[in-house]
Amino acid sequence: MASPVCHWVRSVLSAHLDGELKSSTAQAVRRHLKRCPACRDHLRQLEETWRLLDAADAPPLRPGFTGRMMKRIVEEKALEQMEARLRPQRLRRRALRAVTGLAAGLAIGFALYGWTGRPHEPNSPVEREVCRHVGFLEDADLLDKIAVIQAIDQWTHAPGTTNGT
Amino acid sequence: MPKAVAAAIGAYERSGRYDAVADYDAALMLTFQKGNELAFQELVERNHPRVIGLAYRFTNNAAEAEDLAQEVFLRIYRARHTYKPTAKFSTWMFRIASNASLNALRARAKRRDDVSMTLLAGEEDHPAALADTESRSPDHLLHQRDLRETVREALRALPEKQQVAVILSKYEGLNHADIARTIGCSTMAVKSLLARARDNLRNRLFRHLGTASGQPSDG
Repeated sequence: MASPVCHWVRSVLSAHLDGELKSSTAQAVRRHLKRCPACRDHLRQLEETWRLLDAADAPPLRPGFTGRMMKRIVEEKALEQMEARLRPQRLRRRALRAVTGLAAGLAIGFALYGWTGRPHEPNSPVEREVCRHVGFLEDADLLDKIAVIQAIDQWTHAPGTTNGT
Repeated sequence: MPKAVAAAIGAYERSGRYDAVADYDAALMLTFQKGNELAFQELVERNHPRVIGLAYRFTNNAAEAEDLAQEVFLRIYRARHTYKPTAKFSTWMFRIASNASLNALRARAKRRDDVSMTLLAGEEDHPAALADTESRSPDHLLHQRDLRETVREALRALPEKQQVAVILSKYEGLNHADIARTIGCSTMAVKSLLARARDNLRNRLFRHLGTASGQPSDG
């Protein structure tokens, strides 16, 4: 079982190997390693592991990469130019699509308004009955107003009133 | 140093934004930004071995690594108008290369064609392997091939971020601060990533190889 100090030392051994520890910490690690064979063994294994990674083969380089790349850049430039030429057309097409959409929306809106706003004939008996009552109420309201006007008129034209002739 | 590059360096030094003298690649990119295509060509010429190397470490496939490297330089080319030298050019380039490589690996995992890719990337057509056959004994070759494959497997088995940290540290020689900038995390996180990666690799490699040094020490 590793002691807490061994545990701590092993947690910083990787940074120690990379030379990324502060000098005081690195000194403490070195002091511990001098007297702890288990941690020394751990360090050796980490070093060996890192060294084993050299076995992974070096990447093969095919000559002429820059030439191939610059050829690709020429193609890229041609694409960019084509895109730049197409951009105004694309904008025009997009604007046309927007205007057409707006016009269609307005047309549909007017059509809907016309359809729902048109007075329609009552169909069912219940509807007809309701319309009759509403009509009567409207007429009654009008009759009331006429009666009021006539009353005022009579009062203003009645003999003995100050305004009368 | 070409005049155009020197002028770009001067302009940026005067603005005090970045020490472009210390980073010749950043100066080349700034020159390219002003329309000098030769600067971009020089940038490719100087950096392509490192980019191909990085991509190859991830993919283990030479053709795929070259395709990825072309993709990386294409992205750099497209970013010419927006590039700002706020950090080392290589950090930015490695970030693009790592992301492109990891995306390629993810796409490959999706296609589940790992086996055929490994066959394509076999050592038989690898120049280093061919050179080996002329000078080494069959036993040694077999051991080397096993070792290479085991190391590849061990690297591939690491979680993505650990893999990137190991490749940048071991094969590109980046320090912890530069790795942190490349993968977008803190230096402390890189320390921890590398420590865990080393432990994982130690466990895998020592178990697979059963070397004379024995099992991983437990304390």
